[in-house]
Formats: sequence, structure tokens, C-alpha cells
Amino acid sequence: MSGFLAAHGYNPGPTQRPFTAGAVAGLLATPPAILVLHLLGSLAVEARILGFSLIMTIIIGCLMMGIAGTVYARVLGRAANDVRGGWLFGMAYAFALWASGGVFVLPLLGNGELPAGPPATGVFLSLILWGGCLGVLLPFVHRRIHLKFDEPGIAENLGPTLAARDPARR
Amino acid sequence: MIRIVSLPKAALAGVCGALAWTAVLGGLQLLGKPSFDIVKELGTLAFAPDERLGWVAVGLAAHALVGICWAVVYAYFFWSRVNWPPALQGLAFSVVPAMLALFIVNPQFELMHLHREAVLLTWQTALPTISPAQLGGLLLGHAIYGLTVGAIYTRPVGYDAEREAPVRHLSRRAALKAPRGPRQAGGGFMFATGIECSYPTIEQGRWRRDQMAATHHYARWQEDFELALDIGITHIRYGPPLHLIFKGPGSYDWGFVDEAMAFLHDHGPEPIVDLCHFGVPTWLGNFQNPEISRALAEYAGAFATRFPWVRFYTPVNEMYVCARMSALDGTWNEQRRDERAFAAAAFNLARASIAMTDAILAVRGDAIFVNSESSEFCQACCPDPEIQRIARFENERRFLPLDLIYGHPISGGMRAHLRDHGFEERDIAGVMAHEVPARSIIGVDYYEWNERLIDSDGRPRALGELFGWYVIANQYYDRYRRPMMHTETNRMDASDGPRWLWRQWHNVQLLRSAGVPLVGFTWYSLTDQVDWDIGLSRTVGNVDPVGLADLNRDIRAVGLTYRRLIEMHRDQPGYSDCPALARVLAS
Repeated sequence: MSGFLAAHGYNPGPTQRPFTAGAVAGLLATPPAILVLHLLGSLAVEARILGFSLIMTIIIGCLMMGIAGTVYARVLGRAANDVRGGWLFGMAYAFALWASGGVFVLPLLGNGELPAGPPATGVFLSLILWGGCLGVLLPFVHRRIHLKFDEPGIAENLGPTLAARDPARR
Repeated sequence: MIRIVSLPKAALAGVCGALAWTAVLGGLQLLGKPSFDIVKELGTLAFAPDERLGWVAVGLAAHALVGICWAVVYAYFFWSRVNWPPALQGLAFSVVPAMLALFIVNPQFELMHLHREAVLLTWQTALPTISPAQLGGLLLGHAIYGLTVGAIYTRPVGYDAEREAPVRHLSRRAALKAPRGPRQAGGGFMFATGIECSYPTIEQGRWRRDQMAATHHYARWQEDFELALDIGITHIRYGPPLHLIFKGPGSYDWGFVDEAMAFLHDHGPEPIVDLCHFGVPTWLGNFQNPEISRALAEYAGAFATRFPWVRFYTPVNEMYVCARMSALDGTWNEQRRDERAFAAAAFNLARASIAMTDAILAVRGDAIFVNSESSEFCQACCPDPEIQRIARFENERRFLPLDLIYGHPISGGMRAHLRDHGFEERDIAGVMAHEVPARSIIGVDYYEWNERLIDSDGRPRALGELFGWYVIANQYYDRYRRPMMHTETNRMDASDGPRWLWRQWHNVQLLRSAGVPLVGFTWYSLTDQVDWDIGLSRTVGNVDPVGLADLNRDIRAVGLTYRRLIEMHRDQPGYSDCPALARVLAS
């Protein structure tokens, strides 16, 4: 697993803020997905399964998508910031979310039911659309919130004593 | 390791894989063999089964899109992880989507086809029964997809050396990201980086590696220069793509360099122009061609004429490494593995360097030459006379190209070796019979693999940083007694980059304090590189995280460290006015 994570440049750069960028991009990508859910009747079915009102379902959905965006930005790291290929990454990530979340999480959280028919199609399409939007948006959102080079403390631990051995090792 | 993905190639592979699946299984259905009809499964989510045209179109499009997504996943995660034939790599990968299809996607599609809004989660709804024919079709379809994707998705970087390169001319300058002053052409210590620009061929000259293309410099050149300025870089080692510019005798395509040079002229950093970096244009063949010196001299003269403001040149980069990798290790260009070919390449490169230097001086008499070479050192593991002899010989061999261009006497052992491989005294004298420009600087590159131990079997093994740049650079200084510059270093382990940078810098300071005239330091390169972990020997697309910034141009910790180093030193006496460089400029 660590090898796969490393494949995407696991460690964020010193000016990057993957958590914030991922949360913002995840939220921004949610409205089109909600529209698809609404058009295919998935939103009402999900609300009924979960036992929430439509508004509450949307709020919880936005929250979950914000968290999912955070995980995406942090785990996929530099690949998620690829302007050219980000949309494909986002879609692949959303596909994985659908495959796990759609099948297992919703019934466990609700009354044990799964969406079927057009609402099930709506769940699938909305997530894929969300992923594509997330992938497109993240690099642009992230660039806008990068820390500046001269931000206080950003290069604090990068001074010349780095050349010495770690003081914990003798 | 981050991976470069050729998105067009992955998309093509994904579409072809999906189509091959559909064609084969569709053929089986026509022959009366029932199987899994993925197009119908997908298409009838949007159209009724009797609307055939509609569901076929939607089903094909959806299947192709899913095929593209999986091909991208394959390209990032799986491609080239094992040394199998490409099609078999794809076949092995196809197990993943097949299992997901079997246990998750197919059951979900079954649910989507129900005329109900919701169903209760049971074993039957989560894992509906599937007929043996459908199971066979699903597995066969994925196998065909995997084989097709694997067969098509190969060589994600580089291009066919014989065809017109798929690289566009540099775009016109965009608005500056921040206000920039004019280029500073002072005489201070050179805090440098470089744009990695290697362009050797592999596969017997058929496939061109092009680092500027792989790192997207051609598309993002202005962003790169502005990033270098933001870090505080004063000089940039810059190698315009010889193989794209020099089309033939007297024929040049300057569209690959004009805009970039205009920016560097106006705003900096000041370029150290690297005219030949591990490759030649296809029409010139390779480094066994004795005509390259004449041809490259013509190119150097044309370049200096077009950009008369350029002061610093590296005529040929790392001649020893180039000759070794091309003619002794069998990796690049001519891909030979014999001593005579090595000597021929070394002589041809040295002749080219000398001829290019003369051509530049004819245009700009005060040009400064930074002759970069990889610092190499071999240590014998034991007192065995044969092992000692090998180490001694390799430690002489590393100097051969620099000896030729600087007119330094070649040792007796090396002369005998050259004689054994067809190079007489008159050949050596012929190359050395020239005046060495006074404004010559030795560039000494250093990486952790440059120090080697000759083991008891006579084979070199990487030693790591045992003696360090100080000791090895001193050997080069003692031999040539010329001003020096640390012209390349980096670290494959990005997390250790800042520490490595400071350690190299402390070496530089120690050598300066020992009285060696040092004019500059270089972290190479500005951005990450591609496939240098395998010496550019194959086209894998591994991103080596050695840059001051990654390939998204997001700065790495080592980039911020270098910025801090430069801020700390650039205004200090001895750095703001570098006496060693001043002496070179005054000579």
C-alpha cells in the first residue's frame, strides 16, 4: 500500500495545504452531483433510507463530500494536483467510493435498504460526476491557497545545521 | 516514485481494450454462444431494450469511458512494476477490475435494472446469481481488455527518433506572474540550477528520450524561469534541444528556443548554455561519427551569432559519462560495449568541444566556458594487484576527455591502452594541439553514486558519499589548476534533499577556504526528472523527486532550503563579489 501511495508522491510539499484544498474542492464539486441525485430521484430515496429530511441529507452529503475531498487531496498528493490528469484521478477515486460506499455504507447507516432502479443509477452517476469535478477543481483551488515562500516559519527547520546528523542518533 | 502517464496513450489503450472486448464477445454471441453483454447492461440503463440504436451508442460510450479510467489506473499503478511482456502485465492487471465487476459492479447494475426505488440488502441483492456463461463472458472480456491495454500502453515517455518530433514550438511569452527587474549580469557567486535537458536515443537509435518534453518544460518554460527567479537563482544551466533545432547543415529551427532565450535575456537567470547534452540529431547518427565535431561547431557558431549576449557556455556536457554510457555500457546512442568505441566517442566528443569553443570564440571572444564533467572515483577493495590496477585505470580513464580538451599529459597507462585500441600518438597530439581558452571553468558534478568500490571480482559497486565532493573535486583541481564550479548535485530521496544540499554547500565552503577558486554552486535540476533512476535506459516514466520543485511546479523542501541558503549568502563579502569569477572575467 505504501508503494502505491508513494506512486503519487505521498508527502505534500511545504507550501501545500492538501486538507483545506481537498475540503474546498470536495464541497465545490458537490452541487452538480446533488442536481443529478435530484433529477434521478436518488436524493429522496437516500433521505428516506437514512431517515432524514431532504435538507439534512444534502447537508450531510456536503459534509461527507468535503471529507472525501480531503482524503483524496492528501492521499493522492501530487497526482491529484496534476492539471491534465486530475479529472481522471477524481473519477477513478469516486468510482472506488461508489463501489464501497454505495453498496455497504448506506444500508448500514439507514434502514438496511439499498437504492435500486433509476435512483441507484443516480447515485452512480452523481459520484462519477463529483469525482470528475473534484479532479478538475483541486489543482486550481490548491494553487490559490498555497503558503507563500516567505510565510513565517515555513523554512524554519531548513537551516544549515540540517547537514549534521540527527541529534537523536549518536 | 511518482509516475508519468501518457494520457493520450492510456485513453487509446482503454478505448481499444473496451472495443476488443465488445468485438470478441459480440462475435461469440453471433455464433450462438451466450455471454456477458456489457454494452447492453450499460446502455439499457438509459434506453429501453427495444431502442437498440440508443442503448448500443450509450453502452459503447460508457464502456469506453470506463475502459479509459481503468487504463489510467493501470498506467499509474501497475505498468512496468514487473518485468513481464507488456500484454501479460495488462492481463495480470485485469484481475482487479474483473473481481470488482464480479462482486460489486455487476450486482449494482442488476439493482439499477430493477423497476423499484429501493430493495432490502440481502445476500441475494448484494450477490445475485450469475450464470456460468455470464461468468465466463465477464472473465473473458476483462482478459481481452487487459491484454489489449497492456499491449498498447508501452513507452509513455519519449518519441520515435526517425519521425517528426511531437513537440510544439515554445509558446509566446505570457504576462509575468510578478514584476521582474532586468537580468543581472554581475560578477557575484553563481547560485545556479538547471533545466534537465538530456536527449540521448535508446533502442539502437529508434527512440528519443527528451527530458524537456517529459518534464513539460516546452509547455511551461516561462513558469520554470519565473520559479527559478522566485527561489533566488542567479544562473541557470540551460540546454536548448539540439536534436530539434539543428535540422541539417545550415538548417535551424529556432522556434524551440527563441522565446525562452528572449525571456532569459530580459529577466534572467543568466543562462549557462549547454549545447550538447548526451545526444545528437538523428541525421548525425551517434558519437562514433567523426563528422560531429565539424557539425556541432557549425551549430555552436550559429547559436552564438543568434544570441550574442550569452556569456557562459558548456559546449559538451559530461563527455566522460556520455562516452561511457554510449560506447562502453551500451545504454544510449550507439549502444556499443567495447573499448575502441569508447575511445572513439571520447575523442569525437573532445574534438567537438574544442571545435565548438573555437566557433563561439570567433563570434564572442570574451565567452566563458564551463566544462562540466562528472566527478568519478574508484577505490580498490583490497590489495590484490589486479583490483588495484583496475581502480588505478578507471581513475585515469575518468580524466581522458578533460585531458584532451585541456591539453593535460595523458598517463603512460592510458596512452598504452589507447594505442592498443587503435589511437596513436599523432591522434592524441592532433586533438591536444590547440590553445585552451583562459576563460575556462571546470564544472565538477557530484552524486552519491559517483564514488565506487572495485570489489574482489573487479566490478564497481556504489560506495555512497565516502570521501565527498571536497576530496574528489580537489583531485580535479590538482590536475588542471583552473577555476571550478559545483555544476550538479541532487538527491533521489526527496526527504533527504535539504540535508544533502547543506552538506554539499559545506563542501563548497571548505574548498573555497582551502584556496580553490570556486565560482558557483548548482542544485540540478529545477524540477523533478524522469527515469534517471534507471539511467534513461528504458521508457518507464518514473519521476525522480530530485527537483527544487515537482512536476506540478510546486516547490519541494529542498527548493525552500536553497532559497534560504541563497538569501543567507548572496550579500556576504566573497559571494556578492566573487573574486574567483572576477579573475576569470578579467583574464
